[in-house]
Amino acid sequence: MTLPCGIRSYNYSQDTAIVRTKTQWVLLLGFLALFFALPFYLKSNYWLSIINLIGINLIAATGLNILTGYCGQLSIGHAGFMAVGAYTSAILTGTIGLPFPLALICSGLSAGVIGMFFGIPSLRVKGFYLAISTIAAQMIIIWVIEHWTNVTGGFNGMSVPYASIGGLVFKSEASQFYLIMVITVIVIFLAKNMARNKIGRAFVAIRDNDLAAQVMGINLFQYKLLAFFIGCFFAGIAGSLYAHWAVSINVEAFTFMKSVLFIGMIIIGGLGSTIGPIYGIIFISILDVVVTKLSPALQSAFPQLASGFTTGLAPMIFGLVVILFLIFQPRGLAHRWQLFKSAYRLWPFSY
Amino acid sequence: MTLAEALQLIISGIAVGMVYSLIALGFVVVWKSSGVANLALGQLVLVSSWFTYGVLVQAGLPLLVGFLLLLVFAPLLGWLIERIVLRPLIAQPILSLITVTLGIAYFLEGIVTCIWPQSLGALPRFFPTEPIHIGPAAISQEYLWICGISLLTFVVLTIFYRYHKMGIAMRATADDQLAVQACGVPVTRIFSSSWMFACIVAAIGGVLISSIGGITFGLVNTGLKSFSVVILGGLDSFVGAIVAGPIIGLAENLGGGFFTPLTWPGVKDIIPFIIIVIVVLVRPFGIFGEARIERI
Repeated sequence: MTLPCGIRSYNYSQDTAIVRTKTQWVLLLGFLALFFALPFYLKSNYWLSIINLIGINLIAATGLNILTGYCGQLSIGHAGFMAVGAYTSAILTGTIGLPFPLALICSGLSAGVIGMFFGIPSLRVKGFYLAISTIAAQMIIIWVIEHWTNVTGGFNGMSVPYASIGGLVFKSEASQFYLIMVITVIVIFLAKNMARNKIGRAFVAIRDNDLAAQVMGINLFQYKLLAFFIGCFFAGIAGSLYAHWAVSINVEAFTFMKSVLFIGMIIIGGLGSTIGPIYGIIFISILDVVVTKLSPALQSAFPQLASGFTTGLAPMIFGLVVILFLIFQPRGLAHRWQLFKSAYRLWPFSY
Repeated sequence: MTLAEALQLIISGIAVGMVYSLIALGFVVVWKSSGVANLALGQLVLVSSWFTYGVLVQAGLPLLVGFLLLLVFAPLLGWLIERIVLRPLIAQPILSLITVTLGIAYFLEGIVTCIWPQSLGALPRFFPTEPIHIGPAAISQEYLWICGISLLTFVVLTIFYRYHKMGIAMRATADDQLAVQACGVPVTRIFSSSWMFACIVAAIGGVLISSIGGITFGLVNTGLKSFSVVILGGLDSFVGAIVAGPIIGLAENLGGGFFTPLTWPGVKDIIPFIIIVIVVLVRPFGIFGEARIERI
């Protein structure tokens, strides 16, 4: 990380600190304070629900970023793993009646274990083969959920109780905001730290060249499965939160296209950086809101447009954005932000 | 299960499997020449089926004109995809190449929903429908026609690859891209023609399968199922794709027939994906594929 001019580290704890300067501390704490006060001045439930959904997706995308961005194992079944978490949580709290925190952990674990199972091929194959086997995972998981009717409710889905810790029930959008955001902040903090410790460095080594990594003494078997476990664990947590946020779940929420959307989010944000998925998700969500607001307006302004225009516009624009980003900005928004920051620091000198 | 039922399942399984083979061939052609893993197969099938619906049913053109238009449209689509999207990404890591095809998939799906918002379309019947009796079973003629047309396409493609100058150049590119470039073969043109071929076979497969089942979003799943053919047959093998297609079709149909009473209905749809997992675990390079996967 490039530091502003004149900042030096005099001991190791300074050198390894995530937040290095006083300005950064002030900015971070100020941002968090403003952010967590959001429900007090943002009274619209619509916007709060969008922010909650961003938080949930962010947890899942952070998991995918660890798996794909850091460890280089492409997974196109992330929505499937999220579904495992959502349904585990729904069954544990709704049908069996376990407390929510326990169900949250269990849904993470179950998604992680299932992800690990479908990650086993990664020991022998990579690239396209892995992509296909994770697609197969997505299909198989969704199929099982659809057909295991007496447990999952099949096509009709399940209704899920609100999350509750002790006597505290997270029912309103604002209370759920705190639940989701606290977990999101914890997850981002964990992910940021994981990227910097032994595990994260091993992941990056595997991504860059797995044979070389093995020669360096990294146990590929262990670390690849660990990457799948961690990635899918976060997906499971996100799924559980989604279930308790949406209160009723259905396989429609975890389609193949959703998995692709997650890939798109981390590509747009920038692979292999903790901040990347945040940009990606905010970008995609804003795009989504704009499209849903804009397309009915366009439809009424130009009545000669085809009637499928409103539903078709969103996937079309999303596909286009992914393609354009891969061609023109393959390192994502995070990289662009870095460039902007260094340009700002050096200004008016361009070097 | 009676003999007649079994025979029906076998014939329809082989026919559907042949269509999977066709679609899978489209993948193999592109993979062999340019190393791009095209995950938008299903969407290519979807687009070309809806296009056929558009010219035949909505515009009401005669069959022959419609098919000729399709034979113009499909290569054009392939050329556009290669020229606009994949040309700038030559020599990028495989991760980008896979995800960009996912972007294409999303884009095509959006376009299809824009132009044809209805969820179901039926193509006119091309083939005579009266059943043929083989032994005790009455088999719809359509399936035999589908087998025939698929086989014909394979033969044409094989001859093209063996004897035509372009076909030879494509095989050479698959073998050693640098050497081919040194010999003065325009590799980029090879890439775009392989995409054109991929789109043509996907279009043929799409029209064949939607002439039986109608045009739905299920065609995307048909494309995804074709990946099991690709994986089982081996990524870089034409023969593999042709042999594995009927195997998958049979496994799907017979497995569906046998396992449905034991498990849940609809087990048919998931069999190709289970095969994918098994093959990737046991023999990742497939039956005929080159075992060129790096051992890790």
